[in-house]
Amino acid sequence: MSTTAGSTLTDEATDLATDLRTLPQRPYQVVVWNDPVNLMSYVSWVFRTYFGHSRKRAEHLMMQVHTDGRAIVASGAREEAERDVTAMHNYGLQATLEGAE
Amino acid sequence: MARAFRATTRGYKADLETHERRLLSQLCADVITMLQQRGQDIAGEESPDDEFAHFRAELAGLGAGLDEEDDGGLQPPQDAVLARLLPDASADPEEAAQFRRLAESSLRESKIADLRAARLALESNTVALSEAQAPVFGRALNDVRLTLSARLGIETESDAEQVHSAAGQGSAATTEEFMGELYAFSTWLQETLFSAMLDVLPDDQ
Repeated sequence: MSTTAGSTLTDEATDLATDLRTLPQRPYQVVVWNDPVNLMSYVSWVFRTYFGHSRKRAEHLMMQVHTDGRAIVASGAREEAERDVTAMHNYGLQATLEGAE
Repeated sequence: MARAFRATTRGYKADLETHERRLLSQLCADVITMLQQRGQDIAGEESPDDEFAHFRAELAGLGAGLDEEDDGGLQPPQDAVLARLLPDASADPEEAAQFRRLAESSLRESKIADLRAARLALESNTVALSEAQAPVFGRALNDVRLTLSARLGIETESDAEQVHSAAGQGSAATTEEFMGELYAFSTWLQETLFSAMLDVLPDDQ
């Protein structure tokens, strides 16, 4: 999580309210796994158009999948993450849902 | 000789030989059949040919019935192709089974719809796709490639390279070599389509 130090959010009560609002909403991650079939151009296109990632971000994630074997491509509330995993399966990508640490 | 996908003023087009598009269309039809069969197998398991099953379940007692509801997950397909087309959504088998119970049937239906649309696009030697049709065709082509890769046992990048280099020689004599040729051809076609599609995306930060 990013820090609010130095920002206009100096009031402690406001910080707490922000945490309560944002933390429980992002507990799930969408993980895409490497496989030898899906093409780099295809994966990159899916990341850019489905998630709306920039070209740079999409290519970074695609290379991360390729070299590390997996990458977290999105995170959010459970329903949202489930929808994303199903969409990735529809594109033929190996994707799983996991609880964020 | 086939001519690769390229961008046009209203989408993308490629020129295929008649036998190439017929083969691709047949592969799409094969994948549709497999997905439909999976649906029928599940329906068969859930409502076996037993008119009194529901009645007996009720007699067996409320407690037992509740237990069944609790672990009402759906097991992954045993066939390698279906397992690849309909993957687990979680590393935890129990959670994956629960998710599959809710999501697999609509995933099968969307894949079948994509594959049917691809078959329509493959009805003429010039395969013309609008901006909206291109991703649909691309997904269907990808499902065909996943199917072939599972049949060919492609599990690593070097497996894939081997299939590609063997296919380049154009002397397929066995079913496996022929599948390898089809894999290489559909890979090439998909690569040209998505390179063209990436080219027209607005360049951002």
